[in-house]
Amino acid sequence: MWQYEKKLQYPVKIKNPNPKLAQIIITQYGGPDGELGASLRYLSQRFAMPWAELKGLLTDIGTEELGHLEMIGAIVYQLTRNLSMEQIKAGGFDAYFVDHTTGVYPSSAAGVPFTAAYLQSKGDVLTDLHENLAAEQKARTTYDNILRFVDDPDVADPIKFLREREIVHYQRFGEGLRLATDRLDSKNFYAFNPSFDKK
Amino acid sequence: MSKRETLLRRLSAAQFALWELHLYLNTHPTDLEALAMHEQYEVKCARLRGEYEEKYGPLSPMKGEGAQWLQNPWPWDPTEDDG
Repeated sequence: MWQYEKKLQYPVKIKNPNPKLAQIIITQYGGPDGELGASLRYLSQRFAMPWAELKGLLTDIGTEELGHLEMIGAIVYQLTRNLSMEQIKAGGFDAYFVDHTTGVYPSSAAGVPFTAAYLQSKGDVLTDLHENLAAEQKARTTYDNILRFVDDPDVADPIKFLREREIVHYQRFGEGLRLATDRLDSKNFYAFNPSFDKK
Repeated sequence: MSKRETLLRRLSAAQFALWELHLYLNTHPTDLEALAMHEQYEVKCARLRGEYEEKYGPLSPMKGEGAQWLQNPWPWDPTEDDG
């Protein structure tokens, strides 16, 4: 189960609204390499993990990603507060606004709604861990790309924090992969699937 | 920055260190140095959390009820309401 903690993992305090930036950043809420997909990916893959270290890793990182989802939601919310109709039009926020007003909705920067097709839970330790290593790098690139558009330090600060977390998670998943291969046949890691085959 | 925010940031910094150690210990469960640091930060987090909750209300729904739990600000609220 989960218990809520009434705080963000890292503070988000944005003074100036910027609907254009909100529309870009929302991709980390519900886009292809976003935090919702990340948490669902890890929390779903856990069940097929045969070893405790990997169950722990996926539970904890999947949980942290939910905290990141909340941070992105807070960023988008604060960037779209008190907007005038002129700001909405000038910021190109009209297409989002007509469907969601200023509600936070999981979609990509291009407006594509979230889909579970963004993630995989393959039931194979090595496959899932490689998926996760790639996912962390894809999210890191997305944050790098977001930072190209950000000149407000109030926004850059929490985005940089989230970018760093992708790198740390990548490191932990790499260690998880090593722990997994250490337990497999060193001459053929693919001799059997430890998530499925009994050995 | 308000006193509340300053204390919340100190708590968050300590919790972050504790969490980093926790993640690390998933893949290095027998690292004694990390285990000792984890213990230190556990104590620090408990102290700061107690101080915060006493002054500004519960962080956990298991610790507060009604008006106490519902009081502003919520984590995504940008405005500071105390001095």
